[in-house]
Amino acid sequence: MNMIGNLNWKKIIFRWEMALIFILVMEIIIFGSINPRFLKLPVLLGSINDYISICIIALFGTIVMITGGIDISGGAIVGLTSMVLGLLWQDAGLNIWVAVILCLLTGVLCGALNGFLISYVGVQAMVVTLGGMFLYSGLAVVLSTLSVSSAYEGISGFPQAFIRIAGGKVFGFIPNPFIIFLILVVIAYVLLHKSRFGRYVFLVGVNPNAADFSGINHRFVSMFTYMLSGLSASVAGVVLTSYLGSCRADLGNELTMPIVTAVVLGGTAITGGRGSIIGTALAAIVIGLLRFGLQMSGVSTQYLDIPVGLLLIVAVAARGASLYMKRPSFAAKKQKAV
Amino acid sequence: MNRIVRAITQTRELFTVAFLIILFLGTGIVNPSFLAPDNILLCLNGSVIYILLAIGVSFVITTGDIDVSVGATLGLTAAVCATMIRDGSSLIMASITALTIGALIGLVNGLGVTKLRIPAIIMTLGVNGLVRGSIYVYTEGKWVENLPAVFKSYGQITLAGFVNLFLLITVLIVIGVYLYLNKGKKGKYFAAIGDNMGGATLIGIPVDKTRILAFVLCGVFAALAGIIFASKIGFVTPTAGNGYEMKAIAACVLGGVSLTGGVGSVIGAMFGAIIMSSISRILVFLQFSSNWDDTITGILLIIIVVADALIQKHFKEKARRERLAARDLKALRAFEEMGGDAE
Amino acid sequence: MGSSNNDGNQIPAISIKGISKSFASNVVLREINLDVFEGDVVALIGGNGAGKSTLMKILMGIYQPDGGEISISGKRVNLSTPSAALANGIYLVPQEPMLFPNMTVEENIVLGFKEKRSELHVRLEALIENLGWDLKLDRKAESLSIAEQQLVEILRGLLRNSKILILDEPTSALTFNEIESLFRIITDLHSNGISIFYITHRLTEVFDIATRVVILRDGQITMEGSVSQFNQEMLIQGLLPTNYERAAKKEKVCKNIDGSAIMPLLEVKNFSGYGFTSINLKVYPGEILGLAGVVGAGRTEFAVTVFGKDVVKNGNVLLCGEDITGKKCSTIIEKGLIYVPEDRHLNGIYSISDVEANVTSGILGNFNKFFVDRKKANALTDDYIKDFRIKVTGRDQLTASLSGGNQQKVVLAKALATNPKVVILDEPTRGIDAGARGDVYRIINELREQGVAVVLISSDIEEVVELSDRVATMYQGRINHTFRGESITVDNLMSASFGVYKEEVPHE
Repeated sequence: MNMIGNLNWKKIIFRWEMALIFILVMEIIIFGSINPRFLKLPVLLGSINDYISICIIALFGTIVMITGGIDISGGAIVGLTSMVLGLLWQDAGLNIWVAVILCLLTGVLCGALNGFLISYVGVQAMVVTLGGMFLYSGLAVVLSTLSVSSAYEGISGFPQAFIRIAGGKVFGFIPNPFIIFLILVVIAYVLLHKSRFGRYVFLVGVNPNAADFSGINHRFVSMFTYMLSGLSASVAGVVLTSYLGSCRADLGNELTMPIVTAVVLGGTAITGGRGSIIGTALAAIVIGLLRFGLQMSGVSTQYLDIPVGLLLIVAVAARGASLYMKRPSFAAKKQKAV
Repeated sequence: MNRIVRAITQTRELFTVAFLIILFLGTGIVNPSFLAPDNILLCLNGSVIYILLAIGVSFVITTGDIDVSVGATLGLTAAVCATMIRDGSSLIMASITALTIGALIGLVNGLGVTKLRIPAIIMTLGVNGLVRGSIYVYTEGKWVENLPAVFKSYGQITLAGFVNLFLLITVLIVIGVYLYLNKGKKGKYFAAIGDNMGGATLIGIPVDKTRILAFVLCGVFAALAGIIFASKIGFVTPTAGNGYEMKAIAACVLGGVSLTGGVGSVIGAMFGAIIMSSISRILVFLQFSSNWDDTITGILLIIIVVADALIQKHFKEKARRERLAARDLKALRAFEEMGGDAE
Repeated sequence: MGSSNNDGNQIPAISIKGISKSFASNVVLREINLDVFEGDVVALIGGNGAGKSTLMKILMGIYQPDGGEISISGKRVNLSTPSAALANGIYLVPQEPMLFPNMTVEENIVLGFKEKRSELHVRLEALIENLGWDLKLDRKAESLSIAEQQLVEILRGLLRNSKILILDEPTSALTFNEIESLFRIITDLHSNGISIFYITHRLTEVFDIATRVVILRDGQITMEGSVSQFNQEMLIQGLLPTNYERAAKKEKVCKNIDGSAIMPLLEVKNFSGYGFTSINLKVYPGEILGLAGVVGAGRTEFAVTVFGKDVVKNGNVLLCGEDITGKKCSTIIEKGLIYVPEDRHLNGIYSISDVEANVTSGILGNFNKFFVDRKKANALTDDYIKDFRIKVTGRDQLTASLSGGNQQKVVLAKALATNPKVVILDEPTRGIDAGARGDVYRIINELREQGVAVVLISSDIEEVVELSDRVATMYQGRINHTFRGESITVDNLMSASFGVYKEEVPHE
């Protein structure tokens, strides 16, 4: 009986990621039939520029959520790091690559502040990152007023080398952001599913007390996940700035909800302990293509909150039900013991 | 020292009020014109929408859940109310429709959280998407404009020469809710559930019903905020209310409503909302750029929750130690009586 | 055997007939029959897992019995929810008070009533005055001491006009004076005709306040009767296993280790912390030291503090002669001491992780600093699954789907994988079936043979007797006796645990 329960569980994970792939294929077929241009490879691959930030941040937001936390400050960090980058380059006159490194460091620091308050001081993750969201997006606005360029225009005129981060193409048809996304997926996958740290992330999420008794430094593990999340947001900030060719304080303003949606839709449990990078990566693309596809089919992007919202509720309710059905494993125990 | 700390934690709303007064007086010292009655009234009038949202959300937070769909609810109800009034409906009909929509959205949230056991943040996040999308469907992405002048003029009505109608309504509602929560038979159910859900079940409180009610009330208050929003602003865009959900939660936290549930009051939420919506005005009077608005809000939020967490931690640990130490004292007495020795 | 108040034709206030309850394969209550009359104070005693709490939770409507019926004042009732139990005049004062910390005392008491607030206030004040208690109604519950919280719980019950009060170990967190005042209250209630179930681990209290005694063992009532018919000896008899023969010698040979010749692996000197005081212990290689005592005696607090998870007030812990007092938990594990916590679900297993992740959770860093070395991790896990006879479909099975016994073996494997020199086991066989229990005993004995020093904390006294080379008993935060060799008997340990051991036994 236990064996069956076990196989069921494996099947559910399997099915979930399969389900995401299925949705993805359906999207491509449906949108392709509505607007054949959608099927052109450059168009399809190029669409990632529209939702690259969601993809990148959701990957590492997944790691945060597996420890049982949540990070809703990612979008704000995108705007902040974008402004830091622009100011350091234009107003402080630093080399663009030095500015990029400092900008990534800013993201790590923001994450470290979140993580410290959450794991060492013991404040709820939701509240800290809510405060962080106001703080970082607020700082971004303040920074934008310090620049010699007007806040509305933003800082632009970056060197070609920098613009090529997002604007360049590999083999002439794969946009760089797509490659960046793939690289980050591999990094996040290795980190979460292959490394010792990733193992600890899961263990801390499943049972922080037990982790403590096993001698795992659960506070540091949890803080580090927020630093990673902050870093990923700053990477998104750099990529987005490069793509748009200018830095703006409000770059990440509308990102919070889609990020959390992608993480949860990818199969991560909000209570922690469960989740996968592949799932999140697929979910982020599902959401991104849905938006892009409907846009190409002439539907306003704004309507898309409806299917995405529905998808979220149905997905979580369905997974809750599947966990409910898993309960018979207790009954199995009973029968075995008799 | 401990007594002071404890007094602060016991009367959290007093702490918020004191903070507000210090904030206003401090600004007044730097720039006396800030304390002019007209300006104070402007501060209060400006916070009406946030107060209503914060009251609603405080119901949900007090029971230990969270609602991030109030911004969208505000947007949809504002759009519906404005459209109906533009097309000739009476204010009563439009208001009833808006309030019903708000209540229904709350009901969906509540049922999802209690019956389907979907975590509150996910459920309300999903509903937030649904409602926000519905605004576009309903308005076809267009602004709702050309509202009758009468409707737009409600915001200018003042009583006794200076009390704004909306402000008066809001204050009356706050008082009513306060009385319901503190004097009503079931008013304490919300806080009891957030405080100790197991204990609440043990003494026979209808836990699920009360949680659903909290979501419904939250939706109704968001709808009320939506109606006032439509009248005050005079037009409704499809993005109306975007991001307001986070501001409402922030106002609650500023006002001492704890996200762990069971702690806080509507009075606190109201003052939290006033502080939050006044920050930009205060900054202007202090000759700062109002661009610092969100930064200050963020810093205040973080300071308050960190202080709160540290105080809570301290008391919890102290209680645990007292308990274990009491055991030890007792043992000492027992040993003395028995003439026992510890080896 | 009769009860003090039973004059033969009175209707019992509560009558329990043939109540049974099992959880999965575990039978907790077997056909319990019990009549309690008005004004009875029934002391309910029994070891851990005897079924006391389960019986009381059935009365409170938290659990549903598998069979049997309950009548109140002669009428059969269906206690399907806590509200139903409340409506029938039953109130449970839990061991850990279930108050609303952020509310005032009055709010805590009157919440959930149908009556008007003002009426309740009048009744409440009258009640408190009647009882003569000093309790400010506007204080916040979180500022109350545990004793005061218990008073609040009792008031809740009384204001509801409860006829049957259940007090679950009410004195476990009280100070001496508080106990005295609680006893006065109980005497008061008794004379007002309220029936009380009084669950306790302290035998002396039974004679102080109870009118009747009921002893539960393995889900059955082994003895019952008026308190005047009992003495302490008899109570301990009732707690002993039914088939246990007092004269039986232990089969196994206790090691008698000469402390002067070898260095102890673990030495605790004059060690005090929160919940325990002045503990002195030495544990030698290849020795099993039993640490007996009742729940709340301070054994777990002691062990957790040795493990570096709580503040040390005084004294030292030496591991192989090296001072490890106040070191970090991870350092202590590295130095060779491991603690296996008592609450498997709260502190032991990673339920939704697989067996391999559980077993290797403490030692992944030994394989590879950065990656998870699957090969080594799998090999190690397979070894443990084989050695400990863990019944799994494979090392990738989720721990949550294992039986309690196999989960416990996983927890042991996780701890022992760190290659410790000293192992502190806290209730290693709680809630597991007989087969797994045998395996756990085998594992513990193997450790002993390998020269590991084992500290065995257990409330199951037979288990302590069976396994230990030497036993220390803890009573109210202190070690009150140590036993070795033939003096390790269930009798001796039981009376020492309850603080009533009087025999002159030569011990250091």
